[in-house]
Order: sequence, then structure tokens, then C-alpha cells
Amino acid sequence: MNEKELAPHIEDINRALKEKVSSEQIEEELQKFRDEYRISLGDAKRAIVKKFGGDPQDLFLNPEKKINEIRGDERSLDIKARIIAIQDKEIELDGQPKTIFYGIFGDDTGTIPFTLWESKSVDIEKGDTVHVKNAYANTWNDQPQVNIGSMAGIGILDDDEVPPFERDPQVCDIKDIREGMRNLMVTGRILTMEKKVVQTDSGEKDLFSGVLADESGKIQFSAWHDFQLEPEQVIKLVGGYVRSWRGIPQLNFDENSEVEIIDDQELPSADTLQDSSTMTISHLARRGGAVDAIVDAVVIDIKTGSGLIFRCPECNRVVQKGACRIHGKVDGEADLRVKGILDDGTGALTMIMTRELTENILGYDLDKAKELARDRMDQDVIKDELEELLIAQPLRVRGNVTSDEYGLMLVASDVKFKKIDVEEEARKLLDEVSV
Amino acid sequence: MSMMKREVAWRIFADELNNSTLETRGEDERAPTYIVSPLGAKVNRVYAVGVLTEVDNRGTPEEPLWQGRVSDPTGTFFISAGRYQPEAATSLSNIDPPKFVAVVGKTSTYRPDDETVLISIRAELVKEVNDEQRDLWILEAAKSLKTRLEAMAEASRMEDVSVQELIDLGYDPTLADGIKAASEHYQTYPLDRYWSIMKDALRYVLPEYEEPTVMDTADEGLDEELMERVLEVVQELEEETEEVGVSYEQVRDIVVEREDITMTEFEELVSKLRLHGKLMEPALGQIQSAY
Ligand SMILES: [Zn+2]
Repeated sequence: MNEKELAPHIEDINRALKEKVSSEQIEEELQKFRDEYRISLGDAKRAIVKKFGGDPQDLFLNPEKKINEIRGDERSLDIKARIIAIQDKEIELDGQPKTIFYGIFGDDTGTIPFTLWESKSVDIEKGDTVHVKNAYANTWNDQPQVNIGSMAGIGILDDDEVPPFERDPQVCDIKDIREGMRNLMVTGRILTMEKKVVQTDSGEKDLFSGVLADESGKIQFSAWHDFQLEPEQVIKLVGGYVRSWRGIPQLNFDENSEVEIIDDQELPSADTLQDSSTMTISHLARRGGAVDAIVDAVVIDIKTGSGLIFRCPECNRVVQKGACRIHGKVDGEADLRVKGILDDGTGALTMIMTRELTENILGYDLDKAKELARDRMDQDVIKDELEELLIAQPLRVRGNVTSDEYGLMLVASDVKFKKIDVEEEARKLLDEVSV
Repeated sequence: MSMMKREVAWRIFADELNNSTLETRGEDERAPTYIVSPLGAKVNRVYAVGVLTEVDNRGTPEEPLWQGRVSDPTGTFFISAGRYQPEAATSLSNIDPPKFVAVVGKTSTYRPDDETVLISIRAELVKEVNDEQRDLWILEAAKSLKTRLEAMAEASRMEDVSVQELIDLGYDPTLADGIKAASEHYQTYPLDRYWSIMKDALRYVLPEYEEPTVMDTADEGLDEELMERVLEVVQELEEETEEVGVSYEQVRDIVVEREDITMTEFEELVSKLRLHGKLMEPALGQIQSAY
């Protein structure tokens, strides 16, 4: 970095330190940090401001970063990038509805998910090239992402300010697909598909969404162009990008992607793929989530709030001691569920089983459960029985896996006790290691 | 946010867990502590299934502290449950040994001296199970051990053990981390020992498996003699220190040295002495002669 490029940063430090320190001294310090200790410009500026008693928050000008340089702990960040995808989302913040935007930024080095927490102050859309100032980065499932908060600014740039991303498409097994990836080469069979009409910034659009699978796993897809797709087809996709919803990666592609319908006899049928592809919990954690995942694990804890519970008729929240957190004293409606910890030795997740599955495990229905609890005058008898039935039993559990700050959650669509021939497996393992 | 995530429950044989001497902690002050095993398992929580052989209340009737021993084919897990583990304590107090049990809990360490680390499991859950569930656990623990042995073998071939290289080879980042820490701390790769432990454990679930012949008269005679030696050492130390109750480790080191036996053999001798009522364990890591 030459003197001319450094000058505005020296001025920036000066301003943050309210001119208490001479420019020469700052330059000297900056040189020491940069050349001698090889500290990045951003970190060096922060360190210098701190060293002389200033507040790094007062720094205004950040060294620009390329997307693949973002680590996820930057408190102030400037980038120039192209918007590969953007979508709005309604959230509730302090009880108020609020619209935020999320999507994917790309430059010539890679892609990164972003969230725009304030309403769009400038009109930006997919394909725009933007300059984002004073954003911050954090990590989500160990993956960095950019947050554009109220302190940040966005400007529109000419398209040629960000060089295009040019790299050969990345061949990828479906289980390895992560948020932020783009330009993939994926081959899979369409398990299910439906056509929807959705509202976008540019009017009504047809969306073809479904589930694609190979032998390694399944993924939700959204095709924003009519490729004449149908269930059972095997497609080879080149292009596309990935973004996640609550940890579940979704594969998106449009008219800029190539989709070829191929005749692949080797890939198993949709029915077979539907039921294969178990994943370890550790893999799910690194991926962030999955649609229709299959996990082999053991229940090692049943949480309170399992068994016979009562829900508020107004809001469906679980009622404790006859009172809803929001609606006070209510006449709760009985329900059955399991909230348990599933652990496979590689990781742990929270599993939810709704009423129907819980009834299957218990072998009787909700009415019978109410009767039992009444007879024993104890609501917990059902939870005790579930502990007896489930804990330390090998299970095969199926369902969508999402993630948030508390970790992974699987809402079960199916739970089966797994039969394992221990003797046979032990012999197989012994043979394998005795060569 | 990562610290909110629940720690995985390791399937690890007692031998590997009990031979761990390394503890690590994340940089964050609220980060959990881990015990790193000789094969790189970074353990905070354990899931073990075995035979509960003994349960005692080492606390008071008002404030009980239940301690128990759970055997797997390789050794013994020391488990405990007090007032902070009420559910596990209740279960433990209600089980009449011997019974098959599943235990989930957090590891905790006790260091009687600089070199010794005694490991126990603070049980969060104790549940009676059956022999099928026990066999299944042995299979799972063997598979888990196999993964570590393979990763450790890779590491032993590296000039500098590299976490990234292990991840690139397909190992879990947490395991890769543990392997590096273990190779630095233990400075040895006990691969042969654990391959044979793994195979022995797998043979244990086969129908043709026969108990090692402990009832063999020649063996029993030898054991009798060795048991006497152990008692002698305990009494020597008790006289020397004029205290009732001496360090388990100290006794072990002396006996292992003098009689040229393995630590596992020593552990078996102590179990038998306890069973015969000749030794007592007043506290974890302490033994005393029963006079
Ligand atoms: Zn309510």
C-alpha cells in the first residue's frame, strides 16, 4: 500500500484521536504495525487508536476487504460487491413487525450471505453492484456473514467496479452443499416438485421448487425459470447459488444457470433416495441443517415439557401451572409431545416429536394418556413412561433439521426403533481390522 | 453462541478415559473444560453402558452423595451423583447392583498430586437397561475408538501434526483438534495397545466369548499372593503416614513396580480385595485397609 493510499487512513486515525497525536507519529506507528508485525490495516488502525486512548468506534474509513478475506469478527467493514440474491422477510422485533432483507453478496473472490436490518434506503436489487460502508460481520454456523445495520451506508456503483467471478464450476455432492456457495455442478434426481406463483420486486414470477437428491443427501431447490422439470428426472445443474433458511441450505438457479436433463441409470430411484442418506449430527452441525434428514442416534435425555402437556387455546404456548405466559389463566388444551436430546456420539441435537408420533411410541392415544394421568393424579407419569421407552434405545429419526443460537433442532416426521445385529456387526468389524 | 451448543456424549471405553491426564479449556471463561484422552477424544460429556457393580452413599442421609462403579470390558467408570444431580441420585439410590445401566454425565477430575489425575463421571442420568443395550454400546464405543485409532495413525505419520491436514483427510474438526493436543501432551502413540483393547471388546459381544479364566486355580493362587502384596503396601503406607487411608495412585505405583504387573491387573486386584471386604475406598482416589 503506497503513501497516497494510506493518507486517508492516517487522517481517519487523526480524527478518531481528535488530533492529539501528530500525523508523523501515526504514520510511524502504522508502519511499525504493518511492516514489522504484519498486522492488517484495519486491525492496525484500531490498535493505534486504542493505544493513544481513543475509541476505535470513532474510526470511519475502513480498508476495503475482499469477500474471501472476511473472517466474521469485523466490527466495521467496507466491501464492494454484486448482489447475487436478495429477498425480504417479515420478522418480529420487540413485538413489532419489521421487514428485513437477506441475500448473497459476491465479488471476484467468493460469496457471502448478508442481512440488511434496516429498510432499504436505496433501491437495490439483484444484479446491482454496491459499495457497503461500516457494516459488521459475525458468524453463523461457523460461516462469516455481513450485517448491514443502522450505522451502515449503501451506494450503487457501476457494474465494472467489481470484477466478475470467474471460476470453473465446483463439483459438489449434495451433502456438502453449504450456504454462500455458487457456481456449482450438481447431479441429482428430483424427488418432489411443485409450481408456485410468487411476488417479487419485479412482479409475479413462476417458481418451481422441490427436493433434489443424490446418494449423499437431499436438498431443497428453487428454480426461477421453467426448465420443464418433473419428478424422477435426473438433472445436471451448472451454476446456481446457495442460501439458507434457519440453517437449511437451499439451492437456487435461474435462466443464467445451465440445466440438463440426463439419462442416468446409475442413480437409484426416487423412492430409494428418499429413504437413504443418513447423516451424522456433526455433519448436520457443520452444514447448518437439512431437509428430510435421517439420523441414527440414541435419546439420552427427555426434557421437561415432554409427555402430557397443556396448550393455551389462544396462542398454543405450553401452559405452566394453569397459566399462559401471555394470556394468564386459561383452560389449557391437552397435547402430547417429546422434547428430547438425540446424540449419536458425533454431536447432539434437540428432537421434537409431535402428538401422533408420541402416541405411536406410547402405544395409546391422548385420551388414554389423560386418563392415566388422572388415575395417578400425576401429569408426569407419561413423561416417565417415555423415558422408560426411549432412553438408551437406538433410533432412526427422520425430519427437517434447522439451527439457531441454541444449536440444532429436528422436528421428527418419523421415528423408528432401530434393529441392529450387534453380533454380525462386531464380526464384520473384527474381520476388517484383523488383516 | 457456540457455547450454547450441547456437548456431545462420547462413547469411550473406561480404559481410554481413565488413562487421560490432559485437561483443556476454551479461551472464553465460560467455555467448558475437556479431558483429552491418549487417542485425542476431547471429552466433556460421556455416554457409557455397563454393569453397575457397587453403589454407596458417601454423603449423609440428609445430603447424600451417591457413588458407583460401572464396569465395561476394559475397566471401571467411577460415577457420582449428589444434590446437583437429583434425578441421577434418585436412580442410583434405587438400583440394586449388579445391574446393566446407561449413564450420561460430565467428566470431572481429581488431582491428588502433580502426576495423578483421577477421572469420574458426574451423572446427569442413570437408567437401568438390558444386555442388548450394553452390547450395542460396546459396538458403538469400538467404532468410535476405531476412528480415533485411524486418525492417530495418520497423525503419527506426520512430521508436524496438522489439524487442517486431518480435517482434509475427512476427520471431524473437534477430533482433529484433540488428536493434535494428545500427540503433543502424551508424546506417544499407543496404537497397538488400543487396537487390541478394541478387538477384545468386540469379542466380548460374541456368543462364543469366554470369560477370562479368573476361577482358574493356578491364577487364583497367584492372585491371592498378589492381593497379599497389595495389602502389605497399603499397611506399610498407613503405618508410615500414621493415617487411615492412603493414595490409590501411590499404592498402585509401588505395586506395579515391585510385582511387575499392569495397571489394569492392579485395578482388578483392588476390586477383588474390595469384594472380599479387605480394602475400603473412603474417598475417590483413596484406599484403606479394613481393620
Ligand atoms: Zn396464550
